[in-house]
Amino acid sequence: MAIRRDSLTMKLAAALLVFAAVFVGVRAIDGSSASLPEQRAEVAVREGELPSATTTERIEGLQAQVREAPSDSDGYAQLGLAYLQQVRESGDPTFYPRAEGAFGQALRLDPRDFTATSGLGSLALARHDFRRALALGERAAGIGPGVARNYGVIADAQIELGRYAAAERTLQHYVDAKPELSSYARVSYFRELHGDLPGALAAMRLAVSAGAGTAENVGYVQALVGKLHFDGGDYAAAEAAYRAALRTDPGFPAAVAGLARVEAARGDYAAAIRRLRELVQRLPLPEYVIALGDTEQAAGMAAAARRDYRLVGVETRLLQANGVNTDAELALFQADHGDPAEAVDLAARAWAAAPSVRSADAYSWALSSVARDREALSMSRRAMGLGSRDPSFLYHAGVVALRAGCPERAKALLARLVDQSPRFNPLYGPRAERALDGLR
Amino acid sequence: MRGGRRIRWALTALGGAATIALALLPGAASAHPLGNFTINHLSQVRISQGSVEVQYILDQAEIPTFQEIQRFDRDGDGAISGPERGALLERKLAEISPDLQLTADGRAVTLGAPRAPSLAFPPGQGGLSLTRVEASFVAAIPPGAHRVELRDETYGDRVGWKAIEVLPGEGTDVRSSVPASDPTGGLRAYPVDLLQSPPDQRDASFAVSEGSGRVSAPDGEDVGPVTTDRAQDGFAGALTSGNDHGALILLLLGSAFIWGALHALSPGHGKTMVAGYLAGSRGRPKDAALLGLAVTITHTFAVFALGLITLAASAYVLPEDLYPWLGIASGAMVIAIGLWAIWTRLRRWRAMRAQHDHGHHHMHRHVGHAHTHEPSEAPITTRSLIALGISGGIVPCPSALVVLVAAISQHRLGLGLALILAFSVGLAATLTGVGLAVLHGGRLLERLRPERRLFGGRVAGVLPALSATLIVVAGTLITLRAIPQLG
Repeated sequence: MAIRRDSLTMKLAAALLVFAAVFVGVRAIDGSSASLPEQRAEVAVREGELPSATTTERIEGLQAQVREAPSDSDGYAQLGLAYLQQVRESGDPTFYPRAEGAFGQALRLDPRDFTATSGLGSLALARHDFRRALALGERAAGIGPGVARNYGVIADAQIELGRYAAAERTLQHYVDAKPELSSYARVSYFRELHGDLPGALAAMRLAVSAGAGTAENVGYVQALVGKLHFDGGDYAAAEAAYRAALRTDPGFPAAVAGLARVEAARGDYAAAIRRLRELVQRLPLPEYVIALGDTEQAAGMAAAARRDYRLVGVETRLLQANGVNTDAELALFQADHGDPAEAVDLAARAWAAAPSVRSADAYSWALSSVARDREALSMSRRAMGLGSRDPSFLYHAGVVALRAGCPERAKALLARLVDQSPRFNPLYGPRAERALDGLR
Repeated sequence: MRGGRRIRWALTALGGAATIALALLPGAASAHPLGNFTINHLSQVRISQGSVEVQYILDQAEIPTFQEIQRFDRDGDGAISGPERGALLERKLAEISPDLQLTADGRAVTLGAPRAPSLAFPPGQGGLSLTRVEASFVAAIPPGAHRVELRDETYGDRVGWKAIEVLPGEGTDVRSSVPASDPTGGLRAYPVDLLQSPPDQRDASFAVSEGSGRVSAPDGEDVGPVTTDRAQDGFAGALTSGNDHGALILLLLGSAFIWGALHALSPGHGKTMVAGYLAGSRGRPKDAALLGLAVTITHTFAVFALGLITLAASAYVLPEDLYPWLGIASGAMVIAIGLWAIWTRLRRWRAMRAQHDHGHHHMHRHVGHAHTHEPSEAPITTRSLIALGISGGIVPCPSALVVLVAAISQHRLGLGLALILAFSVGLAATLTGVGLAVLHGGRLLERLRPERRLFGGRVAGVLPALSATLIVVAGTLITLRAIPQLG
């Protein structure tokens, strides 16, 4: 009978299949018999190998603490903060999901946990979801008014959303509540945005002397000091600051990239390229890959530069695949090296999500690259509305004005740039000078 | 009997749904959650008498892979092919070998040339590829060496998952400073454990003595060293796996139980049904329970026994290379089961329509289906009752296999076996229940009988097609997941 024969065949096949499947599965037992992940206490972690032994130790301590007291919401929240710090130090973004999970667990245990709410705000900032960050920061402020750390979350979000007056008030509260490294660092950035470079440097010096941070925190601030000197055209002071940052925190990426920028500004492209390649090999963040491409392009290595720009394109795709808010920086890249129409889309989205001077700068540059000159000019006025002296802002605004037929405005902006930091970028510095020569 | 078949098809639908749930299960441990520039590696160390084998697995995320493709793609076709492949693999091995340092009793030991090195480009995010390199390094150590140490400095300055795992060797007992487990399934999925950072394991030390393949290793959180004896612990350990998706697994186990229970009512199990009747008519609850027990044990054991045989065989063969192929074979088999189901369904449906045209004498058609070798009406003994139970459970049900195979293709054998156990228990529960029902009131049985009232006509028409399609979809998923691992 047909039906029976069928089922016999099936059963034979099935028995064979079970055999094969179980054979494969034996290895699965190896993997699953103890699904608890590695314990690493037995092998001493070599100091100096890790970005910061203290953060790693702190994480291990908190993990143990949470295992002991699994219903302690604060333990989870503190662990989440430590994971965020770990991302800053190691650049390993696989800690983001852990941080998010830890904050989530803390909030399940206590929906009004202050640290976890504020920490989720920090995480939203890292993902460039500034509106969510602001909402979380404000909710945290409602739970624990006046806690200093949370002012930082609110102020960062307000700055990125272009709410500068509100940000100024928040920062004032912050500095009053806690005159420390991270509050001074934010004041410095706020002053820098308004074109007050000496004021920004003064605040940074206060930040460094206030200390009270991990090596990474101090290195971070020292690197920012380097950036301020660089933007102001004092390349020797910039180099000193970057080297100080590297002494504090060897290999600190922002300082390495800064040092390479100084080398490029001095015309030593070979050294800059070597340094950037080493950095990109270790931590291929788009920002550093773009810097490498620009330097190679300036050094006449067009093929190498093309490869780097392609890599940035790939990273953009990955960021989008991961649902990360691609923003102003990538719009600028597309306008310079990719698809200008795509740049306009990206920048329009960035501007809609966060109407800051940073977004305005990118949007105006993207509009200008597709010859929408009038709109570009009006957006550019917004970008310069606070009086920024950021060299790339000045360059973009100058060129936008030139293309839009405003030679006087273009001349003023480019002259300020060339006067302030003529070598801010190996590609665009010389272009700015040429454009200015043409205007004179 | 018609109603019985309907139920059977409804059950297959349930099975299909469970299979798809399994195929989707590892979603929580995705490959590189935002870690698109990580370089991850795992060294599996096996210390035997007189030799050490380090099986090295490298998993490079999308960005380093893209950088390398750019560098090695000489013909500019955007991929690594032909001689470019060899050049890249050679380069990777040259990067790896010098950074793996082995010592025995304090003296440096040279690792041999890599054996059976392989290079593959599994698909990653955003339409990009990953790089996967596997190679085995073998070194001879003085027999009787007591202390073996491995330093794995490969890609030390890169962010990524860095792990060392100990595997049981031959003729040795090993006390290890590194775990005897790998939660990533050979760097294929990275679990996000809130209370565990990704490992940064660069050193491992092993105390070696003569023995029989026992390994003791730190295992998990604060429990201290735990002795793992593979020969005894394998299956027990396997059943505890999968603790990371508690609710889903409970749901799966629950559906496996219900599925098994309902499955017992289907026509293929005619003989066991009869056994149920007979147990009931003998009038002793003990017999009904005995029958159920026999079916459960046999059905579970049929699978487990095969497992034990294979466990022994695996000491001689490394099943690693077979994974993808068996994955594909399993997938193809599931597809075949699904297609077969669609085909028979169609055929019967047509036949049934023909029958309906002639009137409703469908009872005649299915005589042959309720297997002919059913027991005679002779009074049954306890022994023949057990024999009945065994014959009811000895051959694994194909539909149960679909789930087992799916679990295995996800590297979750433990879960698969647990599901089969739940299924068998469900099967037995029905048979025992039927027996008890007969015992406690003949009429009750009539209600339990799989007649038309369980499913209305329309639903019964749609469910079979749906279930068969679900199975085909599941099979396709399994096959597609396996193909990229072929390299």
